[in-house]
Amino acid sequence: MKMALKIWRYDAIAGERALKEYEVDAPDWATLLDVLDIVKDKHDGTLAYRKSCRMMICGSCGMRMDGAAVLACQTRMVDIAESGHVPVISAMGNMPIVKDLVVDMEPFWGKIRAVTPSLQPGYVDPGEKENIVSQERMDPIHKESLCIMCGCCVSECNSMEADPDFLGPAALAKGMRFVGDPRDQAKVERLQSYSQEHGIWDCTRCYFCNERCPKGVDPRDAIAKLGAEAIKEGIDSDMGAKHAKWFVTSAKTTGWLRETELVPKTQGVAKSLKEVKFAMGLFKHGKVPPPVPPHVAKHVGESRALYDLVGRQGRDGAAGIVQSEHALSRLEFIQETGDDPKDPYGPDSFPAPLPIGEEGAAT
Amino acid sequence: MDTVHDVVVVGAGCAGMRAAIEAFDAGANVAMVSKIHPVRSHSGAAEGGINAALGNASEDDPEKHAFDTVKGSDYLGDQDAIEILCREAPDDVYQLEHWGAVFSRTEDGRIAQRPFGAAGEPRTAYAADITGHVLIHVLYEQVMKRDIPTYEEYFAWKLVIDDGRCQGVIAWDLLRGGLTSIGAKTVILATGGAGRLYTGTTNAYACTGDGMTMALRAGVALKDMEMMQFHPTTLAPTGVLITEGCRGEGAYLLNAQAERFLVHYAPNAMELASRDVISRAEQTEIDAGRGLDGNVLLDLRHLGVEKILERLHGTRELSMTFAGVDPIYEPIPVRPGAHYHMGGVDTDVWGLTSLEGLYAAGEVACVSVHGANRLGGNALMETITFGKRVGRHAAEWSLANTTVEVPASAEADAERELKTLLDRTDGERPWKIRDELAETMHVNFGVFRREEQMVEQGTIVQSLRERFERVVVEDKGEVFNSDLTQALELGFLLELAECMVVSGLARKESRGAHARPYDYPDRDDENYLRHTVVTWKGGAPELDWKPVTMTKWQPQERTY
Repeated sequence: MKMALKIWRYDAIAGERALKEYEVDAPDWATLLDVLDIVKDKHDGTLAYRKSCRMMICGSCGMRMDGAAVLACQTRMVDIAESGHVPVISAMGNMPIVKDLVVDMEPFWGKIRAVTPSLQPGYVDPGEKENIVSQERMDPIHKESLCIMCGCCVSECNSMEADPDFLGPAALAKGMRFVGDPRDQAKVERLQSYSQEHGIWDCTRCYFCNERCPKGVDPRDAIAKLGAEAIKEGIDSDMGAKHAKWFVTSAKTTGWLRETELVPKTQGVAKSLKEVKFAMGLFKHGKVPPPVPPHVAKHVGESRALYDLVGRQGRDGAAGIVQSEHALSRLEFIQETGDDPKDPYGPDSFPAPLPIGEEGAAT
Repeated sequence: MDTVHDVVVVGAGCAGMRAAIEAFDAGANVAMVSKIHPVRSHSGAAEGGINAALGNASEDDPEKHAFDTVKGSDYLGDQDAIEILCREAPDDVYQLEHWGAVFSRTEDGRIAQRPFGAAGEPRTAYAADITGHVLIHVLYEQVMKRDIPTYEEYFAWKLVIDDGRCQGVIAWDLLRGGLTSIGAKTVILATGGAGRLYTGTTNAYACTGDGMTMALRAGVALKDMEMMQFHPTTLAPTGVLITEGCRGEGAYLLNAQAERFLVHYAPNAMELASRDVISRAEQTEIDAGRGLDGNVLLDLRHLGVEKILERLHGTRELSMTFAGVDPIYEPIPVRPGAHYHMGGVDTDVWGLTSLEGLYAAGEVACVSVHGANRLGGNALMETITFGKRVGRHAAEWSLANTTVEVPASAEADAERELKTLLDRTDGERPWKIRDELAETMHVNFGVFRREEQMVEQGTIVQSLRERFERVVVEDKGEVFNSDLTQALELGFLLELAECMVVSGLARKESRGAHARPYDYPDRDDENYLRHTVVTWKGGAPELDWKPVTMTKWQPQERTY
């Protein structure tokens, strides 16, 4: 069938950009990558893009379709073509463009290298056999270890757009892959390093990385886990950590968020003195409740019980962010299928295998 | 000569990175050259696992592993090499775990192992169904830790031969353009396979046999080139891999009558027979009209939601994306697809070729541990164990020998050849030749082979090679000129196809992946228990034979 694309071409030497439209004949099963291949073969051999495995595992073909990052090999074109929409294909964001759809990934890898991306096991002699670790203790890094380093999350990262030095979702997810690994002995050093400026607390929580990740790594969740682990380890000097901590303290003690105290608790008393005039203005317009006496919620007991429960269950670190990876994937499955899962041998399905008789042939 | 190293590794998949790490740790100045970033390498697409007799799921030992491998190879594997692989495998897997590989675990916290085809014990260590992905990333972590320099996105094109030694490579810089000559005391080829010779293949676009042809052009022999493995479970239309791990976990193969047809072909092992046996069974069913649209069905439904989500989530993702089928509810349509080249650059057990200074490891090499048919899970193991051995040997040799010379004439010849190609403006672009090659190889050199089809394929490949002499590269630019590199890749593939046909015609028997049911249906140990060896002489392949090394296992009838 006919499939059309508009592609942002870029010639780095001439510094020229141009939006070019292509229409090709492609099979119904074609992915975006297949269509690009047809364009390159039959229309314009100078088109540049990366590709390799075409099965969503090598991470080569990250690019943008209509402004959002996708893996070209994962993106089926038939519905788009049938709707008559002509998608715009462009290079990923937050990385310099080399040519057409090819970006310079060096800034990406530089950040991966910045999180000490290898196991720091704390032993010299590892012993004769493998480390004994239960599956349950490895499960918390299941999602992080799915990362294929395609760059789709980084392409969409709003924090990185504002601060190019921000470590970013891929590197921080890689960091969590080691922080959550029971074999790694550098957890505290890692959390201290990741908690510095341009680290964990500079994420704006826009969740674009979770949304665009083609492998379900959920980098924002990984960043949340790092934050929770950092606070659990008492690594909380960053304003972001203090801010988060005050939410908890405030809810635990009074059941409310005491906004008046939020600023000094986050920024420190000295810095917040500068905000006094602004705060007085807010107060005058009734926007700030009086700080004393503290306003205690009627059912504050419930809030305190919740706090204690999380502590008793040992969910005050990363475990509090995601209960269990397996539980989650099962929840996702139930969400997809509804409460009433189909019978795998139901009338719409292929028949169950025939039993095998004593002679060996099917009966 | 632009730079010099002790050891240059061409290709940075599992074998290449493992070799580089070993050479680095042995004290050599090592660099990797790769046309794609290391983690993009196709080792990462390996799914099911890596075989080592760890004995975590049953009583097992390296000797059992070796016997299964010898039998699986249809006795064409060299038994000394197989014994080395199976003996060193357990420690090599433990080392990967110590480096941080995220393996799946048993109840008692050890590395989990699952049953795999033609293996007498559950021996395949795995990380769900993304084992290759986990290994490639752990190896790259170790590469980053050592800060091993990588010529990333440099397309290796020619080996430098001087004074009877391999002394480096000449590579095209994809990002910036231009040829670079990289001098090296030793060069390790680790470029992987050549699945792109076929339309339906599990292999990545990058798998174009570069290293095999570079060696061939340097006068080094290729061994057992007729032995292309067809994997029994690949998705139509393009051949995306569905792991053998599905069958390891208990999946069934069904024909259109919902019959587990393997009962007629491998009544004992059933779905866990060897790959060559199952691919032939599937093709027979499909040819007899008992398939569905050219496929048979892989049924996971009885495994249940939990097992599928936990151990086969990647498979579910692939079948939903590429076949529109959720394996929890529907069987997956699958068919045989080109998967793995047992053949490759002829090496000894240290990866050394007949050319001093040149080594090969991984799929590009033919040691041979796989013979006529590779067992699932043995490829990743080979990349690690032989990657390590080759890295060590190359480093030791390099540290004992000093000079490197890249003659100016080698650079000038490469420049001239490239200019001729780029200056050509009239003619055919390569894609049609590439497609015709892959389609005809599939028809004429597939699961079953006929004499007349192989002869015809030889003629086709020769005419494609003539057309290739006049191809035009449309992109004349310096920056990311993949039009150029794809043309060079096609050149590599065409020469390999010719070697395969010559080897296939010479082997007048049926053994492992080389099945000739119409004229030579049986294995003929008297005449063909030996390797085919091809060298390039005067623009054409020349065939010779080489004995198989036997240690303790005499050929027996092979049934599953």
